[in-house]
Amino acid sequence: MKAFEFASPVTLDQALAELPNDVAKRDSVKLFAGGQDLLTEMKEHLVEPTKLVNLKRVPGLDRIELAPDGTLVIGCLATLGALAEHAETKNFFTCVAEAARSVGSAQIRSQGTVGGNLNQRPRCWYYRNEHAPCLKKGGTECFAYSGLNKYNAILGGGPSYIVHPSDLATALVALDAQVTLRSAKGERTMALEKFYSLPSEGDVTRETVLEPAEILTHVRVPAKSGWQSTYLKFKERGSYDFALAAVAVAVKSDGAPRTIRDARLVLGGVAPKPWNVPKAAAALVGVALGSAEGAASSKRAGELAVVGAEPLAHNAYKVPLVQGLIVKAIEALAAR
Amino acid sequence: MSSKLPASPLEPRAQDGAPKKKKILVPKVENGHETMVEIEVDDVAGPEWGPREKLRLLNHEFVRVDAVDKVTGRARYTHDVRLAGMLYAKFVACPLPHAEVRVDLSAAKQVPGVVEARVVRDGEIRFVGQPVAVVAAKTREAAEDGARAIKLDLKPLPFAVTREQSLAANAPEVNRRGNASKPDERGDAAEVTAAFARCAAAIEATYSVPVQHHACLETHGAVVDVPSNDAATVYHSTQATFASAGEFKGPLKVSDVEVINEHMGGGFGSKFEAGVEGRVASELARDLKVPIHLMLSRKDEFLAAGNRSGCTATVKLGGTQDGKLVALSASVDRFGGLGGGSHAGLPYIYSVETSHRSMRSVYTHLDGNRAMRAPGHPQASFAMESALDELAYALGVDLVEIRKRNVGDVHAKQLERAAREIGWAEHPHKSKPDLSDAVVKVGIGFGLSQWGGGGHPECRVTVDIAPDGGVRATVGSQDLGTGVRTYVAAIVAEELGLPLGGVTARIGRTSYGPANASGGSVTTASLAPAVKHAAFNAKRSLLEALAKTLASAPDELVLDTQGVYDARSKRRLSWKDACATLPPAGISAVGEWQANLASNGVHGAQAAKVRVDTRTGEIQVVKMVCVQDCGLPLNRTGVRSQIFGGMIQALSYALFEERVIEPDLGLALNANFEDYKLAASREIPEMVAILDDDDTRGVIGMAEATIVPGHSAIANAIHNACGVRLRSMPLTCDKLLLGLAALKKG
Ligand SMILES: Cc1cc2nc3c(=O)[nH]c(=O)nc-3n(C[C@H](O)[C@H](O)[C@H](O)COP(=O)(O)OP(=O)(O)OC[C@H]3O[C@@H](n4cnc5c(N)ncnc54)[C@H](O)[C@@H]3O)c2cc1C
Repeated sequence: MKAFEFASPVTLDQALAELPNDVAKRDSVKLFAGGQDLLTEMKEHLVEPTKLVNLKRVPGLDRIELAPDGTLVIGCLATLGALAEHAETKNFFTCVAEAARSVGSAQIRSQGTVGGNLNQRPRCWYYRNEHAPCLKKGGTECFAYSGLNKYNAILGGGPSYIVHPSDLATALVALDAQVTLRSAKGERTMALEKFYSLPSEGDVTRETVLEPAEILTHVRVPAKSGWQSTYLKFKERGSYDFALAAVAVAVKSDGAPRTIRDARLVLGGVAPKPWNVPKAAAALVGVALGSAEGAASSKRAGELAVVGAEPLAHNAYKVPLVQGLIVKAIEALAAR
Repeated sequence: MSSKLPASPLEPRAQDGAPKKKKILVPKVENGHETMVEIEVDDVAGPEWGPREKLRLLNHEFVRVDAVDKVTGRARYTHDVRLAGMLYAKFVACPLPHAEVRVDLSAAKQVPGVVEARVVRDGEIRFVGQPVAVVAAKTREAAEDGARAIKLDLKPLPFAVTREQSLAANAPEVNRRGNASKPDERGDAAEVTAAFARCAAAIEATYSVPVQHHACLETHGAVVDVPSNDAATVYHSTQATFASAGEFKGPLKVSDVEVINEHMGGGFGSKFEAGVEGRVASELARDLKVPIHLMLSRKDEFLAAGNRSGCTATVKLGGTQDGKLVALSASVDRFGGLGGGSHAGLPYIYSVETSHRSMRSVYTHLDGNRAMRAPGHPQASFAMESALDELAYALGVDLVEIRKRNVGDVHAKQLERAAREIGWAEHPHKSKPDLSDAVVKVGIGFGLSQWGGGGHPECRVTVDIAPDGGVRATVGSQDLGTGVRTYVAAIVAEELGLPLGGVTARIGRTSYGPANASGGSVTTASLAPAVKHAAFNAKRSLLEALAKTLASAPDELVLDTQGVYDARSKRRLSWKDACATLPPAGISAVGEWQANLASNGVHGAQAAKVRVDTRTGEIQVVKMVCVQDCGLPLNRTGVRSQIFGGMIQALSYALFEERVIEPDLGLALNANFEDYKLAASREIPEMVAILDDDDTRGVIGMAEATIVPGHSAIANAIHNACGVRLRSMPLTCDKLLLGLAALKKG
């Protein structure tokens, strides 16, 4: 392994001071949180940083708190395990806790952090093979496009067809989460949805708009009273796996029977970023959860969710899979 | 005794006084391929297992004697060996399937800690992952860095990694004698064609099975120590400890090699050879005069340590209205990379009046297949059980009935038992799948297995009784993971009236006395009789010695769990006191294989119940049942654990496992435990292991039989649940979802 420097700052400012401004140095200085993704990338020689900036000595960044206005504030160093077990998150932001719980294995969840999860790199097996010089690694071709693409994107693909691997991102986008990005120069806040970029929108070697000098310090999830949510992930191997497809559904309902007044629907595992489908969500509005009408609207939402899908040779199954997951997820909400 | 009675094993001498001989069939494994050979053995009187109800330890359930060592990390595997001055060696592999390679070692030699860098092979490289260079260094990290520093000058050559590529008109030459072998044909094609005319129904389909990996948790490799010019010690993760000693002599150029293999982390058929890793470790140790630790990396293990060959089998099967099988024709292509692949003959377990089959190997630029737990049988099972199921549905015959109609009595009986345990009688879909609108559906499927598992005379076991009452059973045999160490102790303890803890078993070392290679499930039937014989002889020697001390006669002495009772003096001695009368050297007795204690040929029947979610294509195996015979079960816990292991490995094969090689780039895409998926804890169903206690024969190996039919039963259960026939493994949700969509379209 290439020798690297290991910086262990104890304040956020010290950490920020370690980061380069220069885009060309982006991969030579890497933030190190739980290391569950970064270390595997280094072992496969996909990145060979000259410096790791260990965030874990910076105090306070691991907090998960409910602000007085009901906003959930998650520090970037909160572990997935802590988030999955956090009582208020489970109660009021259920899909987020469920998504955290669905990640990897208990070992990964106890090391892996929220910041690392949102910033992890793709799992595409071409990207992860150092001998395949793919677009994501600065090459000229997305091998998945015409190759073995069972696990790749059916939506939003091109020129790269990776799917974003983060479970948390899908759930957080469904709850309109915001992220705070800090650099030595200051701070900016944006919708998590905007934090992710499609391969066609910007630098194809990146999945986010994070600048090399920035740290994602916090995630804020606005209070949503009267909302319920769930995250349903389909794993090829149930014990631990990335999503073949996943859905995060959130609905605001009232009355008896509960009638849906507002809804969010976001797909995971099918696109290079969390795939928000507001038109599909709108199809859920106005119907009673659990009613026959509700079942029809879930099906309708499923159809709208995959509008524009362009399956590759080996992933057409993701279309019915997503649709099936949407129906199941809404059934699960109705049963609560 | 009347001479008219047939000779019993207790009456060993023929009339002329020469020892009576008998011919028995024993399995023999050569280059990973098993054949049955006939040998002649003395048919002499000897120890007997005795009536089962009298057994105190054997045929009971007990925990492995090394269980605690294994789960606490005290058990020492080859990987764990650390010797003074030892260097760690690491291979560099060719990333391409076919290339002209030149190796530049210069930079590697400059890496701090690197002691040696060598070319293993250059020139034409013929499979992905073939080792081309090696580095030996003071630390594992330095070895990694050294390996990384080696520069490969690769000139890619045209390659074939799939069947289509290998058989294409302009395919590159993989094998000098052609990319496909000459088909091996059995049966008369014309007769079969005529027989199909007599059938009430026939089905024809193509079934395919991918390449599977052994996925041993301990990778292949050895630690080689050459302390002098004429002797060496090799710690080797091997299922053939004694053959290994011979193999290492060559490259080590010493006359005496001790192989040590106390514990091993899986072999499943892939660890019969010293391999390139053994040879290179030996050369380095010999030349550098320091111990060498060379264990394959996980990636090397996936690409260069063998595999279970894949296949496609096109099968046409026909039968009468009531399900009697009349005609079968099959053509099979095996994919064993550069190897020939393996596939048991069809119609496999079932009897079909007339059959014709043709089988060939299709070669690719991938490492050769090796034996893997029941080589060739799971492949044949998938084709045959699937085809039989398809025919049953075509005829509208009950899935259990059609099987019973075409097998022998033992299988038929076991099948009934499995059917009862899985809940077949209550199941509503016995000859038609569930085609209702239900979203979650349940299905049941079946499959049968068979195996040899007989033993042969290769082991020599020593049992020592010390004056302090300590007992040691010693034999060189490896424990492949089947519980050898435990039953060696148990057999001796049973014979001497001792508790299991009263005997120490020492195994896994060539100097402990010869034993067979563990392949073909022959170990138990080869070793257990020799252990029993040694214990029997030790007991006899002990009683003879005691008889002298006590002024009694050996046949007046009874040894049981209470110690020794002398019928002449009516005195009783505890075990300890009896042993205390022995001379300082104690007693040492040797045992060899006894034909009457072993037998051959096992049967099994399995059933699987699955739950299918038609919305997501999720396939969940909820229950598996195995009914298995094995002669005398030495340790019922051990037998059940083999059954569970076989079922789990088959489930994993059914649902997940598949080697993925990118067809255009020739790169291995899943040579790791993330992308090569193995079943883990949540995939494990309720498992029921039933030992067929009607079987009163001697000891027989059964481990391989248990892996044969599970995946077939699962595939059949999926069809039974929802009407989608998955003919290509692994049985994944993408295939099921497309199948369900096609079914809807009609
Ligand atoms: C076997 C296995 C299974 C997995 N399964 C899943 C799964 O099912 N679902 C899933 O979502 N993920 C999965 N992961 C991926 C991932 O490792 C974890 O989700 C984990 O959350 C990563 O967090 P970390 O703290 O370990 O990240 P690290 O490895 O420390 O960092 C990951 C990346 O994020 C960057 N980074 C870290 N923190 C910040 C920050 N605050 N601001 C900006 N950049 C930052 C790092 O520089 C690095 O590039 C799995 C990983 C493994 C090895």
